[in-house]
Amino acid sequence: MSSPSALRWRSVAPGAIAWREWDGEYVVRNERSGNSHLLGPLAGRVLEVLLETDRALSVEDIVTALGDELAPPDTFDPHPAIDVVLSEFQRLGLAEPEKR
Amino acid sequence: MIVGELSREALTGGLADGGLRLRTGPVVTRIQSRFPRVAEGVALHYADYTLEDTDGFADFHVRIAPPRSPRRWLKPQVYFHFDGASPFLPLPADQAFAMLEWGLNWCVSHHCHQYLIVHSAALEKSGCALLVPGAPGSGKSTFCAGLVSRGWRLLSDELTLLDFDTGQVVPLPRPVSLKNESIAAIGQFAPSATLGPPVHDTVKGSVAHMKPPTDSVRRAAERAPPRWIALPRYERGASARLTPLSRARTFMHVADHAFNYDIHGRRGFELLADIVSDSDCFEFRYGALEDAVASFDSIAGAA
Repeated sequence: MSSPSALRWRSVAPGAIAWREWDGEYVVRNERSGNSHLLGPLAGRVLEVLLETDRALSVEDIVTALGDELAPPDTFDPHPAIDVVLSEFQRLGLAEPEKR
Repeated sequence: MIVGELSREALTGGLADGGLRLRTGPVVTRIQSRFPRVAEGVALHYADYTLEDTDGFADFHVRIAPPRSPRRWLKPQVYFHFDGASPFLPLPADQAFAMLEWGLNWCVSHHCHQYLIVHSAALEKSGCALLVPGAPGSGKSTFCAGLVSRGWRLLSDELTLLDFDTGQVVPLPRPVSLKNESIAAIGQFAPSATLGPPVHDTVKGSVAHMKPPTDSVRRAAERAPPRWIALPRYERGASARLTPLSRARTFMHVADHAFNYDIHGRRGFELLADIVSDSDCFEFRYGALEDAVASFDSIAGAA
């Protein structure tokens, strides 16, 4: 299986996701699975970024979109954390890698 | 007419014959039973409740009856019948009233899907509702009984009905179910409260019910918007402590305690999210009812 970093990702259709954010924490309902999930700030923002675009995004695209929201690069490499988030999204059916 | 206006003979006869149509909040239940314990429980706990016409509509038709077997005589048992079916295993006959209460909860939680139904106590003060969702053993009903005994209006002890159009709590005041040590605790805390006789060796241990205050029953048509959500945890000897809880975590907790959140899909999500958005959310630890009530009186007073 490819690492998440090597793939481009799409959220499920925005209409299949209901979400709310309070103070950086998110609750998300996936209409396809019927499940609801609690997301932390990074996962929530990654999902928002994916929902806001109609194209598949790489991890680098997501890092770029989050920009200054992320801690300075010399203190935090966001790529591994976003890899983990995307893998979890795939498991939960919230996002999936684009088929090549 | 209210139950308390019936003579004991009329009450017993009504239950035994065609049944009594009892209104509890938005629900009318036709109750039939020949068990004296059911008649005694209804007379004690539902004295202030409205009786609907015997020919009128009833949402649920329930009957508490003995089995058609020798168990009618030997270690007597009791069945809960709902629309002619018996959804539960029988219980010892001395648990007849408790079985009626549990059965009525089941009727609402499994059928009233016009509401979002949360396993939660709900109380009102200053026009606002406090939701107290909690698992069995969390101290929810004890806390609820304590607040009710100090002037909070009982909206519900077990099943909080949330209206999809307004987000308000639809009152369903019914007897408060107390278990084990809570029975004596409420007896001491609120000596004027009306408690039914405890029944022992139930699946929940010893159980006794507390009669809802008359004012709560009379005002059962007055809805209230949720303003606070508190997740209780009883700890023996602990001082009362309110800790803010994030709305997202509160949402997940309440959703976990909703009977029909999944049935309603996005509508349930949006309603619950709106309610959480408009509420102050807490974890609440307590070890003494006096402190617990004081904490929430203070919050309600500041609202």
